[in-house]
Amino acid sequence: MEIYLPIAEQSMNVFILLGLGGAAGLLSGMFGVGGGFLATPLLIFVGIPPAVAVASQANQVVSNSISSLQVHWRRGNVDLRMGLVLLLGGMIGSSAGVSLFTYLKAIGQIDFVIAVLYVVMLSTIGVLMLFESARTYIRRRRNPEAPRGKLHTHYLVHRLPLKLRFYKSKLYISALLPIGIGFAIGVLSAILGVGGGFVLVPAMIYILGMPTAVVIGTSNFQILFVAANVTFLQAATNGTVDVVLALLLILGGVVGAPIGSRLAAKLPGVVLRGLMSVLILLVAGELLTELLRTPSSLYSLGTRQVLP
Amino acid sequence: MRGWSASAALLMAVVLAMPLSAQGPRVEPPAGGIFGPLPGSGQSTDPSAPPSVPNQFETPELIVDLSRPRVSITSAFQGESILLFGMFDPPGEIVVVVVGPPARETVLRKQRVLGLWLNTGRQEFDDVPAYYSIAASQPLQRLLARSAGGEILSLEDRMQSVQSVGQRDHDDLTRFRLGLVEVKRREGLFPAAIGQVTIQANRLFRVELPFPSRLPEGIYEVRTYLLREGRIVAAVSRPLPVGKVGFSAQLAGWADNEGPLYGLGAIFMALLVGWAGGAVMRRI
Repeated sequence: MEIYLPIAEQSMNVFILLGLGGAAGLLSGMFGVGGGFLATPLLIFVGIPPAVAVASQANQVVSNSISSLQVHWRRGNVDLRMGLVLLLGGMIGSSAGVSLFTYLKAIGQIDFVIAVLYVVMLSTIGVLMLFESARTYIRRRRNPEAPRGKLHTHYLVHRLPLKLRFYKSKLYISALLPIGIGFAIGVLSAILGVGGGFVLVPAMIYILGMPTAVVIGTSNFQILFVAANVTFLQAATNGTVDVVLALLLILGGVVGAPIGSRLAAKLPGVVLRGLMSVLILLVAGELLTELLRTPSSLYSLGTRQVLP
Repeated sequence: MRGWSASAALLMAVVLAMPLSAQGPRVEPPAGGIFGPLPGSGQSTDPSAPPSVPNQFETPELIVDLSRPRVSITSAFQGESILLFGMFDPPGEIVVVVVGPPARETVLRKQRVLGLWLNTGRQEFDDVPAYYSIAASQPLQRLLARSAGGEILSLEDRMQSVQSVGQRDHDDLTRFRLGLVEVKRREGLFPAAIGQVTIQANRLFRVELPFPSRLPEGIYEVRTYLLREGRIVAAVSRPLPVGKVGFSAQLAGWADNEGPLYGLGAIFMALLVGWAGGAVMRRI
């Protein structure tokens, strides 16, 4: 069944879009990240203009993060203070990101930048995660009774000024660090149409040293508001948010997410992270191939301008 | 819970509305039907007709109508085929040209830089028709070879007259022009094949005009020519509005004119469905 997408200005199969939303939801249920990193490139692969794919996907992220925030909030897994500090950076970053997006679109380089950013981000994170989960897996097999060690490692960055105490995360670190991370995620979110959970979650664990229990809830808190900001700014400045497209992705996601979380409960974390990293690397590989392969046509059209 | 059922109801309404709105225009009687113009009130006096059309005919030599007065882009739109039909005084051949509204197009060209393909070339063209298709009752070359006075242009000729913006050497400009045609072809906006006008009983003709799903909006022009021995003896021009209607039009209108409000609505919709959906699915 085909449906016409009024902003993308083309018709598309309803089930493809529901399926894409469902797959993104499944991932978000399994790994606690938005799944946007997968849905956005796939939307572009099926022929949605990148500008519309990114903006509508941001709209989907709003829905996804409110569902999952509901749960984590009730369980008390949100470090509100950390969330607000991250959000401060996130709001600035996403606003800057939308302006950058508009500029890149005007000069015709947005597709390239989106693809390159995805390849760099996904391959870095995929490799890091793969190594981390492999190491943990091997270590556990050798010595299941291994000592836990320190709560987290102390790096140079912990010596920055403006230190704040984050009780829930049991951290005493500079506010500049989460602001900086929030900013970077905000820019990423605006340009790639992702919540950025797949970068934010590892950054919170490995850079900030937050306890895993509060990471997902807190990241969802920040992502909700950043995605809402991106949706608003994209709609206001570029008019590229397709609510019909977003609604279909959302409905798919609503069904996919609980299935994902049920699957996650049955599999150990290390295996999940291993699977996730393989998936991330596959998407990165596909995008890289697209960049390297000689295109079927060298030509494409920019925005059509109706002259007065 | 209430939000969930409300949005489900909305979706149902959308789904239900689709076949209805798709049928809508079919019911509407076409303006100026085939029996519309009486002899003497000849359509050849149409002010929008091209200047080369002779006006001296007493009787209409050519009567044209479309199966639908407009192309309505509804939620169920997947492209559309419109039937153009009519009658002419034999002998003669029929050529139909459909032209979409002109606009400035930017053509981007990829080049390999350090192994990666990225857009490096850029050329703008003015007055590029959104859509361009030709249908004829005989191979076009044969009809045009006998000279239709430069009035009927093949796509290639039409594209030659498209103005480029800025300076570029001739060969490269030609490559960009061909690139533009290639992209438009791929999108179905410049149908590659010349459509076949079928003639029956020596005086009735019909042709299907194909419109793809990714169709720019605007007022299109459908020009029908009657040719005799390579000369245009009659021509009829019909405007064909292409636009979104119903739910699609509403949404696109909001997105264009009320961007910030539309954005807030989109966020609210996402929060509502996400919240309600999450709550419902957790209980199942």
